[in-house]
Amino acid sequence: MAVKVLIPTPLQKFTRDQATVECNGGTINELLDSLEQSCPGIKARLCDDSGELRRFINFYVNSEDIRFLEGKNTALQEGDEVSIVPAVAGG
Amino acid sequence: MTMLNLTPTELERYRRQIMLPGFGEEAQQRLKASTVLVTGVGGLGGTAALYLAVAGVGKLILVRGGKLRLDDMNRQVLMTQDWVGKPRVFQAMATLRALNPDVEIEALCEYITPENVDRLVQSSDMALDCAHNFGERDVLNAACVRWGKPMVEAAMNDMEAYLTTIIPGQTPCLSCIFPEKPNWDRRSFGVLGAVSGTLACLTALEAIKLITGLGEPLLSQLLTIDLSRLEFAKRRPYHDPDCPVCGHADKQAVAHPFTPPLLLTRG
Repeated sequence: MAVKVLIPTPLQKFTRDQATVECNGGTINELLDSLEQSCPGIKARLCDDSGELRRFINFYVNSEDIRFLEGKNTALQEGDEVSIVPAVAGG
Repeated sequence: MTMLNLTPTELERYRRQIMLPGFGEEAQQRLKASTVLVTGVGGLGGTAALYLAVAGVGKLILVRGGKLRLDDMNRQVLMTQDWVGKPRVFQAMATLRALNPDVEIEALCEYITPENVDRLVQSSDMALDCAHNFGERDVLNAACVRWGKPMVEAAMNDMEAYLTTIIPGQTPCLSCIFPEKPNWDRRSFGVLGAVSGTLACLTALEAIKLITGLGEPLLSQLLTIDLSRLEFAKRRPYHDPDCPVCGHADKQAVAHPFTPPLLLTRG
């Protein structure tokens, strides 16, 4: 399942400054592994030591927060867009 | 509700916005009767306060500790260079008063704390959350939920930003959207004045919409903004029924439902 992932600025150091990365995966979990393969180091920023998604980062499949869906097990369709939105506090 | 008559000067000053379809003198009166709390009066909050002042909001409460630094000057448009080293919130008050003497302004050279937040929120009809750290943002969010006051949440990093309008009991609160906060260094990212200013204009516009009923505010929607590519998207942020901050606000809200325009709920 080819999926487009939108990467926020603070994580673009893992993606060679790319704001979007094409990945594969049938679920968010699989997508995270695919992302780690192409952008080593990024998964530790998105998940804690026990593999849970960090609670200061939102994951949206298209426009829907995955907490409304199945969380890490949310299924992905060909052409979906996954957005990673971290909490920020700049004023 | 308390409607305040507009003076001939005010009718002339605000003539071009009163002309807007769906605005009119009534919307202007609503603005005049409103008090808006603005925190973190910097590149974001200061510029948002500027647009609320020129729009004719009746009273602004500006809360920001600390002194002006030279490296604030690329974005803090209420400041003048001769003020470097002095408390910035008083210069913000002076600039806004010069722009519009009809707006009442209270300026506190303090940060938002658990000690001062309740009085500030209770004194206001709504708040703009423009602080430069998560601590102040969380304290303000919790107080707005506690007192049932709307809060516009606006935050940025580099060329990216997000915006949402929170109505306790109706929409997700900041804690629903981000239950935890990262270790985040407020001086570790770059900022252009035009970026904080863009977000500030949208923030002020949300406040004006909520007060007047103009247009549609960003309720239960998170606007994500990437200004490096001019990508704007609206997303549906998570509303946590078990949120430790607002999880019980839904029940309270039944007794005091919020209906825009904001001041319709006033006695």
